[in-house]
Amino acid sequence: MRSSTFISNTSKYLLAFGFIALVTGFLFTLRDALDTTLVALLYLIPLGLITAYWGLGPGITSALATFLTFNYFFIKPYYNFAVHRPTDVVILVVFLIVAIVISQLVGRMQASLAAATAREREATQLYELSTALAGLQDGHTIAEILAKQIQDVSRGEAVELNITGGQPFVFRLPETSPLNRPPEWVVLIQVARGVLGEIRFWRAAPALTSSEKRLLQTFASQGALALERARLAQAESRARVLEESDRLKSVILSSVSHELRTPLSTIKAAASSLRSNDVHWDSAARPELIAAIDDEADHLNMLVGNLLDMSRIESGVLKPKREWNILPEIIGSVLARMKHLAEEHCIEVDVPESLPLMPVDYVQIEQVFTNLMSNSVKYAPEKSVIRVQAFVEGDTAHVIVSNQGPQVPQEHLERIFDKFFRLTDADRVTGTGLGLSICKGIIEAHGGRLWAENMHNGLAFNFTLPLVWEGISSPILPMDTETE
Amino acid sequence: MSNAPHILVIDDEPQIQRAIRTILTEKGFKVTTASRGEEGLTLAATNEPDLIILDLGLPDMDGVEVCTRLREWSQCPIIILSVRDSERDKVAALDKGADDYLTKPFGIEELLARVRVGLRHSASRQGTQSKVIQAGSLMIDLAWHSVKRGDEDIKLTATEYKLLAYLAANHGRVLTHQSILTNVWDPADANHTEYLRVYMRQLRKKLEVDPERPQFIITEPGIGYRFIANE
Repeated sequence: MRSSTFISNTSKYLLAFGFIALVTGFLFTLRDALDTTLVALLYLIPLGLITAYWGLGPGITSALATFLTFNYFFIKPYYNFAVHRPTDVVILVVFLIVAIVISQLVGRMQASLAAATAREREATQLYELSTALAGLQDGHTIAEILAKQIQDVSRGEAVELNITGGQPFVFRLPETSPLNRPPEWVVLIQVARGVLGEIRFWRAAPALTSSEKRLLQTFASQGALALERARLAQAESRARVLEESDRLKSVILSSVSHELRTPLSTIKAAASSLRSNDVHWDSAARPELIAAIDDEADHLNMLVGNLLDMSRIESGVLKPKREWNILPEIIGSVLARMKHLAEEHCIEVDVPESLPLMPVDYVQIEQVFTNLMSNSVKYAPEKSVIRVQAFVEGDTAHVIVSNQGPQVPQEHLERIFDKFFRLTDADRVTGTGLGLSICKGIIEAHGGRLWAENMHNGLAFNFTLPLVWEGISSPILPMDTETE
Repeated sequence: MSNAPHILVIDDEPQIQRAIRTILTEKGFKVTTASRGEEGLTLAATNEPDLIILDLGLPDMDGVEVCTRLREWSQCPIIILSVRDSERDKVAALDKGADDYLTKPFGIEELLARVRVGLRHSASRQGTQSKVIQAGSLMIDLAWHSVKRGDEDIKLTATEYKLLAYLAANHGRVLTHQSILTNVWDPADANHTEYLRVYMRQLRKKLEVDPERPQFIITEPGIGYRFIANE
């Protein structure tokens, strides 16, 4: 349709007349051999073609022109418009009626075909737009796609989407400075609750046709629906997050009050019995009570630390402070700190010296090892082996902390990383039930993955950590090798 | 007890004040307490304490700020107290001139060890720095640039020695990454903790009996390193 608008109306008429002249010339050379009625019939062919190709206007005009040329060149007496024979009058009148009727029929068909094509195209464009907008949750992307589609369809000089409400923003295509004249067309992006913004459209020539305006209006309402949907989805996910955090808080409260009371009871009992003079200064129970207070205070401290870490992970503020670190150093400091905890177990570290520097947060990864190790220590039998392995796989490091403790039923392998999930009775093992989910939070914040799998004789925690940071896989260091 | 070292405790929590005062008085120190930053600064100026224990979370001003203002005129050792997970504040205070830190809750041995190290370093600043430092069977002679384990010489590269000498000269004290990088490398390298990690690993391999479980050079996670020498 766009190509046909290039042929202006005037040239359509000129073409029609040219065609008629050509046909007239051709028929004129055969005038003596042809019957008048046959000429009239042959004239109908170009008329039909003209109406079909160039529309109703040129068709009707050509019919009238043909009527005149037919009369002038082919009806005796030639070269004037007088008609002598009554049969010729009938032929002329019939010709005129048939020519006009054919023109009109073909023209109407043509017009309705064009309208159908236009409708189909509009429908396609609308379909493309709604497909592109489907499922989008972000206002900026919606605005971008809407603007691009409008530009694709209407080829304006510029289009600007001015989104108000929520977080207002302006999206402009092309992204250069705005035109310094008012837009030719403005459509409101409107939903039931009110106006979400407006589309401003610049195109000086050709002026927007009514069907284009209608299409823009439809685009605007599609955009409005998409924006509204995105806003509702955001509101809904906010509500879900709030609901979830509310639920979590009540779970935490109930779990915490239980977990905190246990060490507190021990401390209270030990401290009060030391104070009440029930326990003699030289009694063997004395150092034991004091040790209990000390241990339980440490335990309380760990619980509070875990809760703090968890709330940080939950609220998304746990940003790793990445630095190039040496994994064995981290593992070493964890083992040094856990010395007394791991006395009953045999700890084997199998980490190659060739392991490259890793872009991780030292404190957080230390926390991961501490939690995985203390989990292993808690569940694995005494004298069993806890092994730490690490190796490089492409551009990630793969770390395994395995123990010879009880296996986890296949269906719970994922769930052990959930908050407060426990396989055993809470009374049998102490802890917050947060250790593993903290590990998962930290590893995922580093862009890695943490999972557990059953081994033939125990359980293995696996995690990966990316070795590439800001496009660098390992920094180059200035080294000196000479000794003093 | 007029010669007893005088310690100023700046902490707004009465329980902590009470505990530290009881413990330190019992150990023969003279203790003054302040519960606000301004009050602490005034007491530090009038009483000239030998050591200051400073909590980072004060009601009227930031502990790091107190530290900065103290350092404008005083070389008195400062030990900061803070809770876990505030590594950034600790490092900030240490880089502003604090000498060491303690994470709440802390054990009494830790507190006393930090106080002893603090007092010793303030004494050594006044001129009596020992030139030979012993740690286990390790002997570091800062005057002769020699490092020995028992009778065996340990060969170190120039950078390794510089690193060890800086740590050993400040034994017992925590040294932040930044301060080590600035002093051993160059102020321009203050952010290259990877240099530190790599050289520290090499150094530990040469010095430690078991480099995977270091005894002499201790990592302070997120803060820096501490060299542990024989008392």
